[in-house]
Amino acid sequence: MFDEKDVILDARHITRRFPASKGRELTACNDVNLKFYKGKTLGLVGESGCGKSTFMRFLVSLDKPNEGEILYRGVDITKLKGEKLRQNRQNIQMVFQDPATSFNPKMKIRDVICEPLLNFGRIKKSEKSAKARELLEMVELPGEFEDRFMHNMSGGQRQRVGIARALALEPEIIVMDEATSALDVSVQKTIIELITKLQREKGITIGFICHDLGLIQSFAHQVAVMYLGNIVEVMPGEDIGEQCRHPYSQALLASVFDIKMDFTKKIESIESEIPSPLDMPPGCPFSNRCDHCMEKCRQERPLLKEIGPGHEVACWLYE
Amino acid sequence: MAMLEVNDITISYGTRPTVKNFSMSLEEGKICSLVGESGSGKTTVIRAIFGLLPGAGKVTEGDIIFAGDHLLNYSKKEWRKIRGTEMSMIFQDSGAMMNPTKKVGAAYTEYIRTHENISKKEAVKKGIMMLERMRLPSGDNVMQSYPFQLSGGMRQRVGIAMGMTYQPKLLLADEPTSALDVTTQAQIVRQMMELKENYGTAIILVTHNLGVAAYMSDHIIVMRNGVIEDQGDRDHILYHSENAYTHKLLEAVPSIGGTRYV
Repeated sequence: MFDEKDVILDARHITRRFPASKGRELTACNDVNLKFYKGKTLGLVGESGCGKSTFMRFLVSLDKPNEGEILYRGVDITKLKGEKLRQNRQNIQMVFQDPATSFNPKMKIRDVICEPLLNFGRIKKSEKSAKARELLEMVELPGEFEDRFMHNMSGGQRQRVGIARALALEPEIIVMDEATSALDVSVQKTIIELITKLQREKGITIGFICHDLGLIQSFAHQVAVMYLGNIVEVMPGEDIGEQCRHPYSQALLASVFDIKMDFTKKIESIESEIPSPLDMPPGCPFSNRCDHCMEKCRQERPLLKEIGPGHEVACWLYE
Repeated sequence: MAMLEVNDITISYGTRPTVKNFSMSLEEGKICSLVGESGSGKTTVIRAIFGLLPGAGKVTEGDIIFAGDHLLNYSKKEWRKIRGTEMSMIFQDSGAMMNPTKKVGAAYTEYIRTHENISKKEAVKKGIMMLERMRLPSGDNVMQSYPFQLSGGMRQRVGIAMGMTYQPKLLLADEPTSALDVTTQAQIVRQMMELKENYGTAIILVTHNLGVAAYMSDHIIVMRNGVIEDQGDRDHILYHSENAYTHKLLEAVPSIGGTRYV
């Protein structure tokens, strides 16, 4: 299903440390390796503070890792500077969680959508209105919305505008950071349908951050589970469910409330709090909360190991 | 008679009614969920029950009876007496209801001493005991922290601990898990189920997570545009409902092993 020659973006050994008080260091991403394939969606799941957003911010060059490289078409984008960096932004765009706060509230929708196009000289000022209408219609909004402001629109409509703006430059990759978690389920469904439709038509690669496992399995081709800055499992999207192997992925799955679940079962939850990334356990990051923890887990960090087609797990249980 | 009876209430902000002809009743130790999209009036209903409608909000018709008393005739003083003792509320983000410049302990002891005439020391002790009962490790540490130093799940537990200090008969929970991760959500849901079992607390839960609502509730009310669209127990809502809107909502819930778009 995943062909090596379709790799469009390759993140290798990404590590990011933030300085903390008393000379300590907070490791937000620890040796992350992920590949993005042309026209496919990679879902990144994990609890808050596990480093999902930190990682995705490297892709859109909003931050730089301390170590590692991100190859986009053979070029390491973490080393780009100046005009080259600016030009590269056309290729990778981002949709934020709350479009109401990520856009200027005083700008009309037309200006919001066309701003990136004007910045890169793709259109003339006189073409703005026509282009805005075209993009609005692409995200299934009426063209008249070009005269509106953000506050005149509902959450779902705003998110569509966010998508229209991200797609205005026709990027190859878009990164969505919890793009639907502020929306109602019924609106969320329509947004997901729109995203998948646009992906099919334009062959866009999507990086999607999410903590809803049910949602991510409905449209991701590939799912990566992150815990305390480490990728603990990478698997094909349809495998999430019975096929997931890492104890942490299984624990995540066990804590999902699903309308199709067995309501008589006791809820299983990991009772302890997630440890602070400031004092990470030396061995496996999950060792202190894991039911299957062995002696080895406390001493040595397991690396990702292939256990099936497109399925990798970092756990000593599967050595 | 049921512990809480809401009879045919209409709530308006200004002239237009926001919630129309809403009725429900709740027995001791039962959980009822209000589900529906944003703006359907779920929060307005529980705010009306708690006497906390903002601004021009007013119950214009109907009656709310709690433990035999007509709540709508209550004076400010009477409200203050039952809020926090007979019924309490948990908010979406309990951190936001606490003063950010005060430690959790300061807010908690103030709350306890408003309702009970005891010394500061005893109040602190009581607070720590409640926090630990809500499975917060080292309660004294939590009391010494500022709200921003706690994680979302811990803050929510502080909120629940505060709400449960006087073992209220009725707990109103406004999206108590929406801002939390799935793992933390599972912990909080479990804790609320334990409240029901251990203290016989009745809970009204406002949520848009149908999975959580289905798991916890004895009764589910589906709201839309301020009116009750559908209601019944879990079996009815999930499997036997013939209401088109309920179907639409259920279909939209992503579930493991459900529809795949790719």
